Amino acid sequence: MTTQLTPDRVASPLLAPKSGFGPALARWVGALAGAIAIFSILLLTKGADPIATLVDMVVSTTTGASIEQIVIKAAPLVLAAMAVVLPARAGLANVGGEGQVIIGAVAGAGVGLVVSGPAALPLMLIGGALGGALWAGLAVALRVTVGVNEAVTTLLLNYVALDVMLYLIYEPWKDANGSGQPATPPLAIEQRLPLVGGTAVHMGIVLALVAAAAVWLTLRHTSFGFRLSVVGGNPEAARRAGLPVARLLVTAMLLGGALAGLAGVIHLAGIEFKLRPGLTTNIGYIAFLAAWLARHNPLPAVAAAFMLAAITVGGDSLQLDSGLPAATVNVLMALILLAVLGWTAKRSTS
Amino acid sequence: MRKLAALAALLTVPLIACSANTTGTATTGTTSASPGKDSTAVGFIFVGPKDDFGYNQAAYQGSQEVAKAYPNLEVITAENVPEDDNAARVMNSMIAKGAKIIFATSYGHLDAALKVAAEHPDVAVVQQGNLITTAVPKNAGTFFGTVYEPVYLAGIAAGKATKSGKLGYVYAFPITQTIDNINAFELGAQSVNPAAQTFAVSTSSWCDPAKQAEAAANLLKQGVDVITQHQDCTATVIKATEAAGAFTVGYHADASAIAPKGWLTGSQWNWGPLYTDIVKTALGGGFTGSKYNDNFRVGYRTGENPFVQSPYGPLVDAETKAAIEKARDLLKTSSPFAGPVTDQEGKVRIPAGTVPDYTTIEKIDYFVAGVVGTLPKS
Amino acid sequence: MSDLVVDVLTGAVRGGTAIMFAALGETLAERAGVVNLGTEGSMLVGALAGYAVAAETGTPWAGLAAGLVAGGLLALVHAVMVVWRRADQFATGLTVMFLGLGLTSLFGAAYVGRAAPGFDPVAVPLLSDLPVLGEVLFHHDPVTYLSFAAAPLMWWWLRGTRGGLLLRTAGERADVLHVHGYRPGLIRGAAVVAGGALAGVGGAQLATAYAHAWFEGMTAGRGFIAVALVIFAVWRPLWVMAGSYLFGAALALAPALQARGLSLNQFALDALPFLITLAILAILGRRTLRAAPEELRRVFT
Repeated sequence: MTTQLTPDRVASPLLAPKSGFGPALARWVGALAGAIAIFSILLLTKGADPIATLVDMVVSTTTGASIEQIVIKAAPLVLAAMAVVLPARAGLANVGGEGQVIIGAVAGAGVGLVVSGPAALPLMLIGGALGGALWAGLAVALRVTVGVNEAVTTLLLNYVALDVMLYLIYEPWKDANGSGQPATPPLAIEQRLPLVGGTAVHMGIVLALVAAAAVWLTLRHTSFGFRLSVVGGNPEAARRAGLPVARLLVTAMLLGGALAGLAGVIHLAGIEFKLRPGLTTNIGYIAFLAAWLARHNPLPAVAAAFMLAAITVGGDSLQLDSGLPAATVNVLMALILLAVLGWTAKRSTS
Repeated sequence: MRKLAALAALLTVPLIACSANTTGTATTGTTSASPGKDSTAVGFIFVGPKDDFGYNQAAYQGSQEVAKAYPNLEVITAENVPEDDNAARVMNSMIAKGAKIIFATSYGHLDAALKVAAEHPDVAVVQQGNLITTAVPKNAGTFFGTVYEPVYLAGIAAGKATKSGKLGYVYAFPITQTIDNINAFELGAQSVNPAAQTFAVSTSSWCDPAKQAEAAANLLKQGVDVITQHQDCTATVIKATEAAGAFTVGYHADASAIAPKGWLTGSQWNWGPLYTDIVKTALGGGFTGSKYNDNFRVGYRTGENPFVQSPYGPLVDAETKAAIEKARDLLKTSSPFAGPVTDQEGKVRIPAGTVPDYTTIEKIDYFVAGVVGTLPKS
Repeated sequence: MSDLVVDVLTGAVRGGTAIMFAALGETLAERAGVVNLGTEGSMLVGALAGYAVAAETGTPWAGLAAGLVAGGLLALVHAVMVVWRRADQFATGLTVMFLGLGLTSLFGAAYVGRAAPGFDPVAVPLLSDLPVLGEVLFHHDPVTYLSFAAAPLMWWWLRGTRGGLLLRTAGERADVLHVHGYRPGLIRGAAVVAGGALAGVGGAQLATAYAHAWFEGMTAGRGFIAVALVIFAVWRPLWVMAGSYLFGAALALAPALQARGLSLNQFALDALPFLITLAILAILGRRTLRAAPEELRRVFT
């Protein structure tokens, strides 16, 4: 009877899904059905018709506009999920995606304030990635120098990041020509991420998917990725084997932070165009869950990010079509997550 | 780091062949002659829960009055809509459900509202509380009451009631609406009690009851004996004030029930008539060019303010009521910010004899003399 | 100035109490080897249950009991998931937090703005007249007085009782329990549930004794703070108590300064409690990790 982490982290988790597709599918179907059944009971207590509500919700995600919105929402989630996946391979829990996303957006916006013209956008992206890396770097520095657990420090740094952003948008960076609202001036057109074809979707999704592929390749096919999993599996053994454990941990976390920072900056340059108080709306936390849903496998994490984005977009329907309170979607999301976390893994008996 | 650079370079490649992101900046397509005309539905988005007993509940009640006035219209509401691009998504979903009139009821919904307006020339989008600082699109507008006017009147009641000369203001963030309110409250109190000071304490949250409790406790400890607030949820501060035997000036709603002894007066919303008139104008096809196709402000100078003074509490004497009546009459031609208005440093910001217009007032970014507190320097 | 210190310390007790209950709860869970980020959710359901039951029954004590039960029930979800379903602790905790947030907004709307009886401050005879200490410690609500006893009691219980020994062993050497025929999973699950119940009491204190209101999301991250506190208190109840008051003091500083017209940047003050916590963690450094219960260290490294 130990905590769960060892079995999942030591063996390459990518090998796990191959063991029996049929039973895995059955577990997933069973778990999701259970979650939806409990959710339906809750709907009944609120006086809503579960079947109509769920049908409306699913239908609402199938229109062209909804699909665009799902892709837009998924883009930063994919990147921020990679920011969890990569450090997790080295055994690091990056709960600080939210803060790194914010600082990434802040850094991107900062670059945008001083650089214009065609160089602006690439520099903003780089600045955002560096900003996120810096923020994650603070936490991993505390980890490797004085041994403070990174889950706690990254969590605390989320709050500090928010205060940093609020300070900037209420004070030095506030748009002098705006209506007095706390926000930076809007990005110029050339500072924004271009749109894909004739859609409303910005290029952030391309960046996100390329980054996810890069993470997958790195973890699976490079010696760096292999060493990370050795460290993640057993740091003591890795140290004895002569691996530079501290350096690997730092690198993994910095890369993760950079990915989260990138998520912040594409959210800024793709859709928001201004730093504003509610900029991230839990991107970091939802992405953390997406990564865990996928048990830290990069490609399933992409799917999980899309699924959570779809639940958010579909969740609008709970309000607009069924008149349910806004919080209903949180309950649905939590039930699905619990079902997947607890009942879909193939596990050895205890 | 090497990998990071490679990654960044790799990621910049696909950026070349695609269209510029002009979302929300240009009005694409043809402009409609009459946005909102013959709509079958009206959409309302609220930033908080529609039963918050405060700002959002008042807006929700306004939407229900529209439903009552137009039984054939479907009134679609969405609560907890964040002040970012999520708001545009929710509004678009409402439009997909047939709404051609949209109310975006929070200050921070403006950018999303303008984006939606640009994408849908046939939809009238009105935003509550902010200012459009660029050219106003043909199918958009903002509206608000002069919130600070009833707050000024309530300040008179506070100035009369205080024994210590110290008033307290619990606020969330230093946005313009809040700054106007704090200033107007102090100016109202000063008009009858020149020595009155207003101590402003921020909570950095629109609703963190524990922080509110701490703010109220500290104000009371410093001898403040009248407290008002600009928060989305208001019960905590009012209960703490009442328990300490101090006076309450309300905001958003009539809360005299939870402060039966210390309630003075306050300011509360009555959105129904204004919402209904906006809907009527748009349904009739006359939105473009109407007063709502602008930064529409209504106050004691122009007519029916949707922000009204709350009923008086038992301890407000006849003299105070008379002073408030007099001031209200004066506001029909003047303003709480009629000059001279000096800031905390003693600099005259509005010269004597000047009555600033609504837009000027909504850009005030300083505290007036008599307010004790610090604003960020932007 | 001394008056400022008294006010900040008084505010520290006022604001630290709910956090302390939650952090003591988290201490129980973590000493048994389980991290529960869902503490935030347990506080929230405790706050709603406390306020709602106080409103319905007319007695805040019933509310406090309800908060305890509700916090424990939500933690039961975490316990089942982590102990019996072996789901990941961090992800499950965060999910449980979302579940608590969702459920309380869903069912809490009716109680926003509703009146409910609460706990009022009661000055302790004699003690409340003491200089400084009287004001800082003995002008509070009854639940706060209970909290004074909670940390020492837990310290004693963990150290000096059989139950405490079993719980600590579940967190240090679960295999030893196996050998002696105990079921470590059961002990761990019970610790998580009891911890959630304490967090629920903290939430109920927040709603019925401090804020006198219910509002969705009203715990505003205090449950997460509690989790961080436990680590910097190196899993010792008395340190948890001190840490909670330190955090409470950092929170109380901003309003105490502002109410005196002393200016400091609003956002810098907001960040202060988190920066202080980070600084202390950095100073304690490896000591925290070394002090961690063995089973927990596996989660944390």
